[in-house]
Amino acid sequence: MIDTFRTMARTLNNPFVEKWKGSGGKVIGFPCTYLPEEIIHAAGMLPFRFRGVGTTSLSVGDTYFGPVICSFPKCILQLAGEGRYEFLDGAVIVPGCDSMRRLDECWRKAGEDYQGSLPGYFHYFGVPHKVTDYSISWFEEETVIFKESLEQYFDLTITDDAVAEAIGLYNGIRRLLCRMDRLRTGDTVLLSGSDALAVLVAGSAMPRGSYRELLEGTLDSLEREARDISEGRKRLMLVGSVNDDVGFMDVIEDSGGLIVADTLCFGFRSYADLVDESDEPLKALTRRYLQHSYCPRMFGYYKDRLQVLRRRIREARVDGVILQNIRFCDLHGSENGIFERDLEAEGVPCMRIEREYGPLVETGRLKMRIDAFMERLG
Amino acid sequence: MKQETKEYQYDWILWTIIENASVTHDGSVKEYESLLTLIPHFREALDEIIRQGEAGICLMKLMARYLKRCLTAHDEGRKVAFTTFCFSTPVLYAFDVVPIVVEAMTVLGTFIFKRGTGEFLDYCSEVGFTETSCSSQRGALGAYLAGLGVRPDFIVCDSPGICDTNANSYAFASAYLDIPFFQLNHPPTLADERARRYHQADFRCLVSFLEEQTKKTLDIDRLREVLEEVRKQDELICELTEFQRLTPSPVPNIFNLFLYSGTFLMSGTSDFTELLELMLERVRENAARGVAGSRSGGERVRGFFSYIDHYTTDLRFWRWLESREIAHLGCILSSFWQEDAIYAAGRTEAAYAVRTDSVDAMIDSLAAQMSRMPMVKSIRGPYDAPHMWLDDTMLFTRLLKADFVAYIGTMGCRNTWGMVKLLARDLERRGIPTLILYADAFDDRIQSWEAVTDRIGEFLHLRGLTSGEPGLVSSG
Repeated sequence: MIDTFRTMARTLNNPFVEKWKGSGGKVIGFPCTYLPEEIIHAAGMLPFRFRGVGTTSLSVGDTYFGPVICSFPKCILQLAGEGRYEFLDGAVIVPGCDSMRRLDECWRKAGEDYQGSLPGYFHYFGVPHKVTDYSISWFEEETVIFKESLEQYFDLTITDDAVAEAIGLYNGIRRLLCRMDRLRTGDTVLLSGSDALAVLVAGSAMPRGSYRELLEGTLDSLEREARDISEGRKRLMLVGSVNDDVGFMDVIEDSGGLIVADTLCFGFRSYADLVDESDEPLKALTRRYLQHSYCPRMFGYYKDRLQVLRRRIREARVDGVILQNIRFCDLHGSENGIFERDLEAEGVPCMRIEREYGPLVETGRLKMRIDAFMERLG
Repeated sequence: MKQETKEYQYDWILWTIIENASVTHDGSVKEYESLLTLIPHFREALDEIIRQGEAGICLMKLMARYLKRCLTAHDEGRKVAFTTFCFSTPVLYAFDVVPIVVEAMTVLGTFIFKRGTGEFLDYCSEVGFTETSCSSQRGALGAYLAGLGVRPDFIVCDSPGICDTNANSYAFASAYLDIPFFQLNHPPTLADERARRYHQADFRCLVSFLEEQTKKTLDIDRLREVLEEVRKQDELICELTEFQRLTPSPVPNIFNLFLYSGTFLMSGTSDFTELLELMLERVRENAARGVAGSRSGGERVRGFFSYIDHYTTDLRFWRWLESREIAHLGCILSSFWQEDAIYAAGRTEAAYAVRTDSVDAMIDSLAAQMSRMPMVKSIRGPYDAPHMWLDDTMLFTRLLKADFVAYIGTMGCRNTWGMVKLLARDLERRGIPTLILYADAFDDRIQSWEAVTDRIGEFLHLRGLTSGEPGLVSSG
């Protein structure tokens, strides 16, 4: 089953999407964990999180974006320009950071030059950078506007019941992912970091009902087999910029490490909190999505994030922390600098690394750095 | 960092230099000229400022007073706040808080010190800040993080949602120094009801934060006084902008720098009103004589700088423009969107008005002003949305009759680098020659100043915007 997830994580389009499209289903792409994707699911459509997997050139990305921009949105634009996102019926842009929010204009303009590369439905979804009563109200309004725009464009109705049902399904998946977390953080480790990432990535690219079944079956099977893979390996935690690349995780784990925890957005952040099912669906949804401040895009919450890191380090008995950021990701990159200062002061070995998103052209350099870190961990 | 760099406090040395420079013209011309020979690195910059007459001398004295206030604030029982250039300072002055505008401190170091702020930029990276972050903050921030400046009591910024790189610098400083942090953040739209409500609620939250930090309640009379001063200043600024429409423009290029430095550091103070009055006096004289604001009185070509200026050592940017008789018609930093601004005509929803008839009216005015500050107004949403970067650039280019548009930023500016190619393409399609410079306005190590001038010169030449030798077109 893990192989199914790994195959899905290494490819953009996948058999589940093809089947979904074949039966007339719609697919809506989105880039960030701050979009309440339950709304898309409640509309009867498939939420698909953007990735840049399989990019081999940045000829399109570099044409519209400037030179000093993160390679993640550039890779997404590249794939769009190449027609590889043609299965999307819509796209939602979320201001995760400056580079990501400019994907809005760059994609729209590329759409003028590369016919068919811009999905028919294209929506900008604002997200405040702080948690207050008025920012939550604004965010709730923004969510309603998003919901109504889907209803209007696709000529459908998203009922409160459908949203509540989606919340139930997503919470169920989050509980399963927390169960998967425990298979990694305990004394015996039943799942590698790269396999866990594959599971998580696949979950952002397939119908969630099927995903829940597949996930549950996989966890049952892992628990049944109970094969510990931690023997002789250093327990690591991965922190920082977006990572959907199992290859990057493999490089780390092939060097004798085992990623037992993370605080990544294709990871812990996506399942850490549940939506309150006893509250009014839209209110509960918006609270959950805005109130989790794990991403440094939420400015001024450094201490909260440090606390999360400390808790994860303690729970997973981590030997060392890898603080990574994609080049030009100043939000994660700078915060990693302070994490390093504060965690090292508490005796937690840390390693900071800057990398590019996309094809692992720098495997050798990364491997050398990670090998050196492993030596330090002894 | 070199031991010699750590020998003096960064802010203290800036104050010492500016304080001494501000009195160089108090004696005779002969004494002034003799003193100039003793100034090592920013002689030309000083002379460029002093040459503007009373306005230039006033700016130097105003800067000296500002820096002294930063240094002595704690001794005088005032709180000190780190803040950013696009944060409107009147609310801080109403609370008697001294704002240290980090980007302004970087600019001062960049054009005064022989090596600019290179070592402080690098120091920032050494303590964990990414080297790809914006140099406008890193320059001075490096010094403050190294303990070479007054320790701020708290941080206020208003860049989240506008420029996350900027906001990140302040969030980093807050975490690094372990001091309180407050952010105003902005929705992606400007003029709709939702945005207005958000600005107003957010601003009230800021007032509560300031009350908590200063242990004072907002002094309504003091606030009214500050806002009345802002109103006077707005009128003067609007008149100055109108003069920029004339051909030749009677506004000296460097007055753009005067205008925005004064606004960023001292909006709402009587010092700044005096500076504006003196600037306007000079501009009126030039206009009456029908000459350009340049040294020669000539104007060969008119440029609008779509983003920021270049702050290389010794104010070479402004001096070079002057030497080529290129009129600098402003940049994103010099538009403030007062309701009476000539560019706000027909766009009142994008402008702000100062109202002082009630406490709520005053707070709402400040919220509206804050949300229309340079960059905050026009970079918050998609560049081609109403009231945003393309709209504004087109408007200023047409209104001020600019012959070309040039972009200068920093390598840290994700937000504009994410869309500047699109902006340039749109402007070119509308017949406006547009140049993107790959320089860093605060760090000459990215691209040398010589390379920058070569590129601007070649661009103007190729686009047929200038011919012959500079200085030939002179009407003064």
